[in-house]
Amino acid sequence: MSNVLEIRNLTKKFGDFIAVDNMSLAVREGEIFGFLGANGAGKSTTINMISSLLRNTKGEIILLGKNIAKSAKFAKSNIGVVPQDLAIYEDMTAYENVSFFAGLYGLRGAQLKERTVEALEFVGLGDKHKAYPKNFSGGMKRRLNIACAIAHRPKLIIMDEPTVGIDPQSRNYILNSVRKLNDMGCTIIYTSHYMEEVEEICTRIAIVDHGKIIAEGTKEQLKAIITDTKDIWIGIKSEDEIKVEPLKQIPGVASVRVEEHMVMINSKAEVNNLNLIIQQLIRDRAEIRSVEEQAPNLETVFLTLTGRNLRD
Amino acid sequence: MTTIHIAIKEIKQALRDRRTFLFMLAFPIVLILILGTALSNAFSGSIELGEMKVLYKDTGASPALGGYWDGFVKAVEGENVHFTPLGKDMNGQEEVKSDNYVAYVEIGDEGIRFYGSTRNTIEGNIVQGMLTTFAQRYNLVAATMKTDPVAAQAVLANASAPHDIVKETALQADKAPGSIDYYAVAMTTMIAMYGAMSASTLIRGERSRNTAIRLSAAPVSKAEIFVGKIIGSLFTNLACVLAVVLFSKYAFKADWGYHMGMVILVLLSEVLLAVAIGLGLSYLFKGETARSIVMIFTQLASFLGGAYFPIGQDESFMGWISDFSPLRWANVAINKIIYSNELGAALPAIGLNLIVAFAFLAIAIISMRRREAL
Ligand SMILES: Nc1ncnc2c1ncn2[C@@H]1O[C@H](COP(=O)(O)OP(=O)(O)OP(=O)(O)O)[C@@H](O)[C@H]1O
Ligand SMILES: [Mg+2]
Repeated sequence: MSNVLEIRNLTKKFGDFIAVDNMSLAVREGEIFGFLGANGAGKSTTINMISSLLRNTKGEIILLGKNIAKSAKFAKSNIGVVPQDLAIYEDMTAYENVSFFAGLYGLRGAQLKERTVEALEFVGLGDKHKAYPKNFSGGMKRRLNIACAIAHRPKLIIMDEPTVGIDPQSRNYILNSVRKLNDMGCTIIYTSHYMEEVEEICTRIAIVDHGKIIAEGTKEQLKAIITDTKDIWIGIKSEDEIKVEPLKQIPGVASVRVEEHMVMINSKAEVNNLNLIIQQLIRDRAEIRSVEEQAPNLETVFLTLTGRNLRD
Repeated sequence: MTTIHIAIKEIKQALRDRRTFLFMLAFPIVLILILGTALSNAFSGSIELGEMKVLYKDTGASPALGGYWDGFVKAVEGENVHFTPLGKDMNGQEEVKSDNYVAYVEIGDEGIRFYGSTRNTIEGNIVQGMLTTFAQRYNLVAATMKTDPVAAQAVLANASAPHDIVKETALQADKAPGSIDYYAVAMTTMIAMYGAMSASTLIRGERSRNTAIRLSAAPVSKAEIFVGKIIGSLFTNLACVLAVVLFSKYAFKADWGYHMGMVILVLLSEVLLAVAIGLGLSYLFKGETARSIVMIFTQLASFLGGAYFPIGQDESFMGWISDFSPLRWANVAINKIIYSNELGAALPAIGLNLIVAFAFLAIAIISMRRREAL
């Protein structure tokens, strides 16, 4: 498989602040490439450089074999950007929105009409041609936001958190659209705060932290990085009396999270400390209902590698 | 092509914006009506006059009259009125019809015959007024001559004061800007300047809606976006301006003179100026500040330019500072075109508008090129 996108030693500075730090990566044709990172990790900055919205300070970006600094028009024509923040005109109908943006890519006349209809159909807004986005739900606006980026049939679609703040139904619709676009031959770069989404649809994932890629691979490869920790989830009746500090003192325990009816503990794999943990919980008068040892998930991988949660 | 695509979208959005109709159409039309009728007494009708060319033919049938006529012609020449004897192959009435002369006069045995233009120009009226006065005095002299030669001398002495004749008739001229006429012009030039407000949001609006991201990510150059937006903005603003011109002309019978093309050229240059100022300021100042500054600028320019009430062009501070209002340039030029057919008056206004417009466009272009995104 050939590379659709290659990034070499990419750096972006805002004044003295380094937002993207000597980043290199390759996205292959047909991939859904996940970009995982906490707030401010540098995901949007990287994406903005790929889509020519920002100039890079150093390094190069190669799209379909051409350096985008030298063939900006070619690169722009082959990319579709779904911006993190909604970018649509509220005073233009859904149809006019898609048609206007597609027109910027040189589509005209019958072809423009056809592609506009197709894009709206694709995101499930086929019956909303004449509707104004100001009357749309959050999910519908997000879908229109996507339609505006795909009507010109780009080779590479970059989606910057396309599912922020929407209902589960729209989210499923969008995730399915992403898969469908991928089936149709589009390569996709997908950033999200939602670990489950990335885990569900991405074929390869890069974890970004402080402008650097700290891990990269399929989810299996990423999970394999952390053979040395385990997650213990303990269901309890009430979390009111649970004290976190004594739990953290138990040998091997790396982190403790208390949620509703649940205590989640990340611990070194080789230490057998389940007895101590349970004893402590009983001391805190917890009524234990279940104990589960979890296989590591991406959340744990992320936490282990970056030392912080994806969503704070 | 992409430029047109962008221009069309701009026009569509502007026409859908209720503010466009409110500020650019409803507001000025209502103001013309209200101010035009409420302040109708405030207008004295004193205006500047253009050159008045009169064609005449002395048949020689009445030497006495001919003599007086020559005296009259000499005396009046200094008052911007020029008399030309009818040439061999000329048809006096045709010359007037084709607007080469304000009037044609025949001096024959039965007295003076006057052919004025059917078009109601102020100069025509003045010339007609002067000639009427002259003829009345001549008749008076002729009549008095028979009975009282001494009195006739007195009348003649009076007649040699053409200053009075000109002043008298100018005051009586029925073609002076009435209040409706004044406000039709003033409101039109005012809304032409209002174009600055919508222009200030041309680029800023895209940024605040994040659509600037899509525009920058598309294979379209900044220049194409820029030009497309300016064309769209010029089009809608000029359309509104023309709508107000036509509405005031036909619904309020406001006087727009006989040189509509030239008036529209002045207005077009003013709309371009407004768009350039709005765009330039939106690059010079950030966010809401730009909006406020454009707002203050248009209001000040409107006030000083005489949009709400005429401001005298005297030595006072107000008179002096009003010269800095683009509305003033446009109003003066347009009124000269309408009331004294001075087409040349358009040139300084258009020239000034273009120069300032290009200065502001240059600011916008330079700042735009410096930015990474739009
Ligand atoms: N124009 C700018 N000027 C200065 N700093 C900037 C600019 N844009 C981004 N940054 C900084 O660069 C860092 C990376 O920002 P970026 O938007 O790429 O993060 P992100 O990974 O997309 O985060 P999020 O998940 O919140 O979208 C942040 O610390 C941000 O404050
Ligand atoms: Mg981001």
